[in-house]
Order: sequence, then structure tokens, then C-alpha cells
Amino acid sequence: MHRLPTLLSGIFLVFLISWFGLVAYPAIHLGRLSPVADADSGGTLPQVYGGLAVAGQRVYATEGCVSCHSQQVRQTSITRTDIERGWGVRPSVARDYLRDSVAFLGSRRLGQDLSNVGIRRPDSKWHYIHLYNPSSVCEGSLMPSYRHLFILRKIQGQRSAEALDLSGPDAPREGYEVVPTDEAKNLVAYLVALRHDYPLPEAGPVKGNTAAAK
Amino acid sequence: MSENTLPHHESPSVSVIDDSVRLPVIILFGNAIHWLVVATLLSLVLSIKLVAPGFLGGISFLTYGRLAPMARDLMLYGWASQAALAAGIWLMARLCGRPLGGVLHSTLIISATVLWNLAVLLGTLAILAGYSTGVEWLEYPNWASAMLFLSFLLIGIWVVLLFDHRSTGPAVAAQWYLIAAFCSFPWVYGTANLLLTWKPIQASAQGPIHSWYCGSLLALWLLPVALASLYTLIPNHLGCQIHRRNLATLGFWLLLLFGGWNGMDRLIGGPVPAWMTSAGVVAGVLFLIPVAIICMNLLGMLGNRREPTSYGPAFRFLVMGVYTLLTVGVLGALLAWPGISGALRFTGATEAKTQLWVLGSVSLPLFGVLYEALPLLLKRDCWSTGLSSLHYSLTLTGIWLLFGLLVSGGLFTGLALGDPTVSFLNITSYSYPFHFMECAAQLVLVAAALVLAVNVVRALAADYLFPKR
Repeated sequence: MHRLPTLLSGIFLVFLISWFGLVAYPAIHLGRLSPVADADSGGTLPQVYGGLAVAGQRVYATEGCVSCHSQQVRQTSITRTDIERGWGVRPSVARDYLRDSVAFLGSRRLGQDLSNVGIRRPDSKWHYIHLYNPSSVCEGSLMPSYRHLFILRKIQGQRSAEALDLSGPDAPREGYEVVPTDEAKNLVAYLVALRHDYPLPEAGPVKGNTAAAK
Repeated sequence: MSENTLPHHESPSVSVIDDSVRLPVIILFGNAIHWLVVATLLSLVLSIKLVAPGFLGGISFLTYGRLAPMARDLMLYGWASQAALAAGIWLMARLCGRPLGGVLHSTLIISATVLWNLAVLLGTLAILAGYSTGVEWLEYPNWASAMLFLSFLLIGIWVVLLFDHRSTGPAVAAQWYLIAAFCSFPWVYGTANLLLTWKPIQASAQGPIHSWYCGSLLALWLLPVALASLYTLIPNHLGCQIHRRNLATLGFWLLLLFGGWNGMDRLIGGPVPAWMTSAGVVAGVLFLIPVAIICMNLLGMLGNRREPTSYGPAFRFLVMGVYTLLTVGVLGALLAWPGISGALRFTGATEAKTQLWVLGSVSLPLFGVLYEALPLLLKRDCWSTGLSSLHYSLTLTGIWLLFGLLVSGGLFTGLALGDPTVSFLNITSYSYPFHFMECAAQLVLVAAALVLAVNVVRALAADYLFPKR
């Protein structure tokens, strides 16, 4: 153990054990998972994201949403809390992340889990108002405002159909409107597409509902 | 000269060794400390944002989501990794009885240091400007992480070469740890970046690879450098040999064996095959074994001499580093237990483990090396006793206060989350007092970092500030 090559070989061999288990094995087995056929729609599961949602993932990444939000419903053998709270109908499995570019599993839940937010909150308008001022729809929320994803502009002719219905102190002054930028539209398209509720062979039966998250 | 200890600095060759590494080590430590100040300031802003979400609100680059990865990465790559590089070079040169080969070598290290800091600075600015990769702990854009990787190779190679050309006898525990650490960083940082950011693998496989990276970065890179510092400096201070060398050997190999699996506790119950969940539980618990062996081995040397105050600032930091490591090991084993993981993962309790690991078991021994090395490198007594004591008291207060708050806040949140009748927003409002007090803890840590910075600037500039008549 006193010569460099001997020491290096020893270290290399020991490192190799965890590398095989946590890098090589997942790369070979989980990295080659493929979507399964969906008998109902004739498509595949998990369904692929639309173009906006794909771009929305980038916004999710660059804004650092993963700092506060996880995207995983844990196995019921470890905890039932995630499902009882309405964060999902079944535990998440590796195949659920096939369509993602980054698996935003998360490490802290300063905010709620988002793996099924598309089922809980399917309404894009709600997300826009929530992103613009979270505490206006969730009083006491720790989430900061994402106003920089919106534009305040003068109404030209007719009020835009995309303009946010803001009230109270958030409401723009007369003749002005708040509209989402492309980034906000992409992000919201991504959020409403988030769901792990379809049946997969390894995921077990789907039961319960996530309509009323607590 | 004892085999396990640093050569006494009176011997002539030691002076040559110190001269050869003086500039690179001081530049690395200096840069590390300025990033530490920035990182603690950002952490303070983040903790205020958890109490008042509107604080510095409405500005894209100051949102929580961008500041949090900035602060974490500055702590990991700006401070801890850079200080570990400094400690590694100095310790290895001293342990091997070899100077760096002339001006050329130290110039190369200094150039690589500039590259490292440029990568950290530009990577941080890129996160700020909205170019984060979104992969936790690897948020720097590809070009910045490539710069970091290259720069590490340029610095780390000297540590390995020093070992290969050593003029001392058989290798000692501290040297094994340094070699393991300096080999593991390129391996884990390279693999993780390759598969997660440079050429991302299908996302279904990313979870285990990411948890392997997070665990390995802490357990196979930062911790071994901290342990090398402890294994060198504690016996050196006590003037004794390492007790029970076979325990030191066993601890070393078990740490390497379990260290890579240690991050799996991030995936217990997650979207991975069932055996990985079991492996996460087992690894979390087993990791306590090498930690306990190493801590007992180190604390055993203290014997009856449990009055660290009489040994100066370096020794106090080193001893407290051992205690924080033991706490990390125990907390890690508890948090990996399935029932506890189910309740406490994603809460402050898991954050407490990471924070204590980085701020305590890694940073405290590195502070110890700094306090030990600088007077030897400058060849004069350079520290202000008052500032050193103040730094020690503030650091310890800040770390333990933050740890206590995160653990208790995490317990509280975890228990409340288990009751689905309590709404999430309700739980958020319950955790307000904990977040409020965390601001105080972060403020103390900012003060500690500032005191350290003043102490170092004062030490370096003493000749100018207080000229001898």
C-alpha cells in the first residue's frame, strides 16, 4: 500500500463498486427503458410533451424551481403521506421520467410536490395568476413572485385574450394589461402537462384522486 | 521525526518546502475565503426570503430559485473544494518532504487557480442570468464545469506527483486519504457532468447517478481531505503517533467502500428499482461504521488531554471537526431508516445533514489547516488571538444553531406532513419561527466568515499595517 500504483489500484477497485451499482447499472437498465403502448389512445405512455412544454422544462430548470419543489411520489412501503396528501395517485417510477430532459427529483419540499400538478391544477389561468403573485391565490405561501415572466403594457385597441384577470393591489392601472411572456407560457404548458397517473406495468394499480391536494 | 506527523519546521528542508508552496496555497485559501463570505451572505438573503418572500422581490436574478443554487455551488466549489485543494497541496508537500519543483510548477498551479476562480465566477453569473442546467449541485453551464474540471486536473496532478516522488518512508493514513480524494474528484465530477449535463442520459436513469454524485462529492472528495488534515495535525499537535494504525486502515477502506453509496438516501422510496431503496437504507446505516471508527481513532489520541483551549485556534477547529463528523454519521444513519426517511426526507432535517457536513466536518478541519499553515508559510506568528477566538465562537454558534433549527424544524414539518388533514400552507406557517431563527444563525455565520476574512487580511498585511520599528 506504500507504492502509488498499488494504492491507486486499490482505490480504483473500491470506487468501481459504487460506480457499477449507481452509474453503470442505471445507465444500462434504466437508461434504456422505452415507452409502453397505450391501448386507449393508440399512442404511448408516458405521453410525449407538446412543443411548449418541452421549452417550459428549460424555464423550470433556469428558474431553479427544483430548489423548492420535488417531482416524485414515493413508494408506499416507505411512506403513504405523498399519496394521502393528494400529490399523486400512485408512486412514481423511473419510466415516468422518459419524456423529461432533466429528472427534477428534488431534495427539499419548501413548496408542494409537482409530479401531478397538471391534474390538481389543470387551469393555465390559475398558474399565471399564481406565478404573478403566489400569495394572492395561496395566502401565506413562501413562493416568491415571478413577475419578470410577465409584461405590463398599454392596451392597444382591444384587451388581449391572454391578459391576466388581476384584482386588488395587483390590478394594472386603467388602460394597461399584464400578459405572460413566452417563457411564462412555456412554463405553464409544462406544469399543466405534469402527471404520473397513467397505468404502467411496473407502477401497480392506480386508485384515488388528486383533485383536492392538501 | 515521527512518521505520522509533520516534520518540525526548524529543519532546513521544511523551509524550502514551505517556500515552494507558499504562493499557491495562500492564493487558493484567499480566494476560498472570499467565496465563503459571498456564500454566507447569499445564504442569509435566502433565509430572509423564507420569512419575507417579497424581500428583494420582482427581480429575476434575485429570486430564491436562482440564489439557492448560487449559494450552494459557491459553498461547494468556491469555498470547500478550493480550500481542500490548498490544504491538499500543503499537507502533501509536507508529508512527502518534497518541495514543488521550482517557480514553473507553482506558476502552473496559480494559473490553474485563476482558471478555477474564473469558472466559479462565470458559472455563478450564468446561474444569475438564467443559464442554469437545473441539475442540483451541477448548475454551472457546460463550459464552466469543463473549466472547473480542467483546472482541477492541473492542480490535482501535483498532489499525486508529490506523493510519487516523496522522500519520506512508507505512506501514512493522511497520504492515502489525499490520494483517494484527489483521484475521486475528477472521477465523480467528470462522470456526473458527462451523464447529467454535457451529454445527458435518458432522464429515467438520472436519479441514481445524481445521488451517487452528491454522496461521492461529500464522502469521497471533501471528507477525505478533511480527514487527511485531522490525521496529520491532531497527532502533530499532541506530539504522538496515530493510535491503532489498523483501525485507521480499516476506517479508510470502509469509508471508500460505503462513501459512494452514501448519497442513496436521497432516493429511498424514489423512482428507482426496489433494491436501490434497500441499498440506500443499508448504505446510510453502514456509513456510520467507518465514521465511528475514524472518530474514535482520532478522539482516542486526545486521551486525557481534553482541554482544547490550551492548544490554539487550529486544534480547537480540528477537534470540533471530529465531533461534527460523528454527528453527521449518526444523523445520516437515523435519516436512512425507512420510517424516519419517509417522514423527514425533503424537510430541514436532511438539509441539516448536508449543512453540517459542509460547514462542520469539512470546513472546520480546513479552518484548522489554515490556522496551522499560514504562520508556518509566512514564518511568523500572524494571527490575532482575539479574532481567532471570535471566529471560532461565531462559527460554532452559527453551525450548531443552524443545525438545531433545521433538525427541529424538520421534525416538526415531517410530523405535520404525516397528517393529511393539516394543509400544506398551514405547515408553512408553523415553520415560520424556525425560518425566522435561521436568519439569526445565518447572520452569525456571515459574521464568522467576515471575522475570518479580516483575520487573514490582517495576517497577510501585518508587515504593512504594523511596521516593526
